[in-house]
Amino acid sequence: MTVPIHYFLVLAAALFATGAVGFLLRRNLLVLLMSIELMLNAVNLTLVAFNRLHPANHAGQILSFFVIAIAAAEAAVGLAIVLAFFRLRGSVRSDEATALKN
Amino acid sequence: MEQLRLQFPSDDFTLLGLILLLPLVGAFVNGVFGKRLGKQGVRTMALSAVGGSFLLCLIAFAMLVSGGHGEHGGHGAAHTATRLTWNAWRWFTIDGGTSPVPLDVAFSIDPLSGVMMLVVTGVGFLIHLYSSSYMSEDPGYYRFFAYLNLFVFSMLVLILGDNLAVLFVGWEGVGLCSYLLIGFWFGEEKKAAAGKKAFITNRIGDFGLLVAMAMLIYYAGTLRFSSLEESHAALNQMRTIWPLPGLELPAFLIPSQPIRASVPTLVALALFIGCMGKSAQLPLYVWLPDAMAGPTPVSALIHAATMVTAGIYLVARTSFIFVLSPFAMAVVAGVGALTALFAASIAFAQTDLKKVLAYSTVSQLGYMFVGVGSGAFAAGFFHVLTHAFFKGCLFLCAGSVIHAMHHVIHDEEGSQDMRNMGGLRKHMPITHATFLVSCLAIAGCPMTSGFFSKDEVLFKAFASQITTTQKGLWVAPEWYGQAIYAIGVLGAICTAFYMFRAYFLTFWGDFRGWKIVKRAKKAHGHAPHGHHGTEPLEGEAPHESPWQMTLPLAVLAFFALFGGLVYAEPLHLTALERFWHPVFATASTHVVERAGAHAMMMPLLFVGAAIFAVGSGAAYFVYVVKQGQPAAAFVSAMPGLHRIVRDKWRVDEFYEATILGFFHAMGETDVAMDKWLIDGVIARLTSGIVQVVGALLRLLHTGRVQVYAAGMVLGVAGIGWFVLSPHATAEVDGAKLRSTGELTLTAAPGHGYGYRWAEGDKPMPAEFTSTAVFTTKLERCETKKLRLEVRNVFGATTETTFTPCREMGNDCCARPTAAASGGAAQTPAASAAPTLRLPTEGSR
Repeated sequence: MTVPIHYFLVLAAALFATGAVGFLLRRNLLVLLMSIELMLNAVNLTLVAFNRLHPANHAGQILSFFVIAIAAAEAAVGLAIVLAFFRLRGSVRSDEATALKN
Repeated sequence: MEQLRLQFPSDDFTLLGLILLLPLVGAFVNGVFGKRLGKQGVRTMALSAVGGSFLLCLIAFAMLVSGGHGEHGGHGAAHTATRLTWNAWRWFTIDGGTSPVPLDVAFSIDPLSGVMMLVVTGVGFLIHLYSSSYMSEDPGYYRFFAYLNLFVFSMLVLILGDNLAVLFVGWEGVGLCSYLLIGFWFGEEKKAAAGKKAFITNRIGDFGLLVAMAMLIYYAGTLRFSSLEESHAALNQMRTIWPLPGLELPAFLIPSQPIRASVPTLVALALFIGCMGKSAQLPLYVWLPDAMAGPTPVSALIHAATMVTAGIYLVARTSFIFVLSPFAMAVVAGVGALTALFAASIAFAQTDLKKVLAYSTVSQLGYMFVGVGSGAFAAGFFHVLTHAFFKGCLFLCAGSVIHAMHHVIHDEEGSQDMRNMGGLRKHMPITHATFLVSCLAIAGCPMTSGFFSKDEVLFKAFASQITTTQKGLWVAPEWYGQAIYAIGVLGAICTAFYMFRAYFLTFWGDFRGWKIVKRAKKAHGHAPHGHHGTEPLEGEAPHESPWQMTLPLAVLAFFALFGGLVYAEPLHLTALERFWHPVFATASTHVVERAGAHAMMMPLLFVGAAIFAVGSGAAYFVYVVKQGQPAAAFVSAMPGLHRIVRDKWRVDEFYEATILGFFHAMGETDVAMDKWLIDGVIARLTSGIVQVVGALLRLLHTGRVQVYAAGMVLGVAGIGWFVLSPHATAEVDGAKLRSTGELTLTAAPGHGYGYRWAEGDKPMPAEFTSTAVFTTKLERCETKKLRLEVRNVFGATTETTFTPCREMGNDCCARPTAAASGGAAQTPAASAAPTLRLPTEGSR
């Protein structure tokens, strides 16, 4: 164990924070999607780091597989939504998705 | 007879149920199916219902009378009253007192109610017969008979009731029917208002009756008349009425000596309030003159013969309570005498025939109360009987006259106005004869029934005194009976005068209806004959009424003339009094004749004859000999007085200004409060708050996903903070603490929590342990301070303090320093004044 566990955790937390902030503050829909991917990857990193800490319990790696699969599916669906939105509005700004505004 | 007696034994006299059922069925059938039955059917149903009830009453009465002889002869034991009772079912039981008070729906016939029920059904039948012709042109024919039958039913319930609760049901029932019948033509505002006025004024009196019933339940534990009579002496207690025990009052309202009254006085006065409302005495008489808005048969039945006499019936029924209180009896007699005079004064100036009769009714009711108030229950109630006959006859005659006048003058007010009448004795001989007979009776012409009854009442008022064995009760002064007598004589002279005034104006002279009096044409909407102004109208002369109307007149006039012979003491014919003696036996023991009064009976008889002569002679002189000139001269000499008397002494206006005005003002205030306060402020405020909060929350609805995501982040952060911080709470087993004094604090569990406990302000132990339970002991009312420190997995700690107190139920925990000093200081304050509690000060 040459690399202490908290290196991985801090890196993952930083990546997660970046993704979260990016999701909340950026206006381009594609960047939003990329931020989501970033958050998912940060979670993956945390999972495998804990798995490294407790190797006998493989739950971290197994769950990580699930997360990758779901991220892929979600990216596909998200892109489809962005495309449909672009056809509707002609732009990819999230500001313009306000049909549910009061 | 024996068969009947076997079928209906005297303690399970189910014939009573039949007597009551027939009018009820009549009312139901006429009310529900009346329209379909048509006039013939309705008439048959109604007449047969009341007629059948009358026949059954006759049978029951015969059984009552003969049963009395049989029982007296057979057993030789003295029964206080022969009674035929029927307990229909148990209504309900009042629990919560010292012993439960059962109330049954029970009916009974004794001599008093026996005679009364004959009058009710007999006169009722005659009036039903009369109305079948009088109301024949009215579209509400079936409704009228339904109400009339319902009235007879309610009146029978009232008089046949064996206890006050059933009586009260009947009491309210007749009040209801009175309202329905007075406001029979409810399309006109004035008539509907008259019905309302009658009902509301009655209800004010009913409050008194309810209070009396409550007091009787409290003090006597029963409402049955027979039980009350047996235990009436037990009611003789004194009671403090001011200050009321248990009430905290400021010092200036407490008198130096508590005001006490005897329970019979309170009960009797409360009962009398009920009588004041129902029997139209001062001050609650105002509904009766207005009640003339109803059809005339209604006035005859309800406001002459039956309903208004319910008050005197109540007093006669509870006579044994009234005699225990000389004060209440004096009040009854005094109010009766004053009412008699007061109403007589108003009748002088009335021009509406029915109004004269209405005030005459109020006045005669006053005489009845003078009778029962002086202890002469039999005499007072005898006046009820004779009044039923002659006043019923008078009202029916008036109806006959109005009916005839209506054919000539279609205006309603005009056909009742005596100034339009005159000379009707030529056109309506039977009505004239019966009216004259009844007039003689009411004025007290010697040998008529009215003479004997009124004379008996006045003599007993003069001669009787209520005695009491209780010390300290107010007894009427010696001159009281004589004062009542004097007022009664004055009222009788007035009665003779105004009744004969009405008689002469209506039946003598020439028919004035050819010229309509100016005020009568005021309401003339239609004009079939095309006359306006004072031009004479030609038409058919007024004619006599059909046999259905004149037969009841004849029957009633016969009884008005000869009915007095059942109780004519000067002639030593006292059958009725002896018949009623068992009913009033208990009460009579408290009534004594004043010394030397008996010798005055004959001289007072001559006074009675003189009253009649003076009154009717004066009326003859003024209205026939002098053609009404003295009256007109009086009106022009004292116009102010005349106006006030004609306006009924402005009593209604006075009530309107004060009491009703108060309620109107309260109503206006409430409307304003509703509009400005409740609608304006409260409703708008709540809706405003909701709007503001809604507007604030709506700011979150931007429709942008990122805003929603930000909300999610905040929420997660909050939950996380709550979950990750340590919480220190503990539960106490309260019941175990109170009973044994052992205090067990159980701290709330958490993941990886460590606990530290300390008592008071002592320092915490060094280590965190996992013991979540802490026990200690508490004395009574002792308070302790305990501290708990909790540490969670992440090392964060939090501390909290508990101050449990062992509450022993008397608020001892709230006064932490009360333990020693409070107890000793209480005793000096407690002996100061038993009814006054000074506020406790903390510095004591």
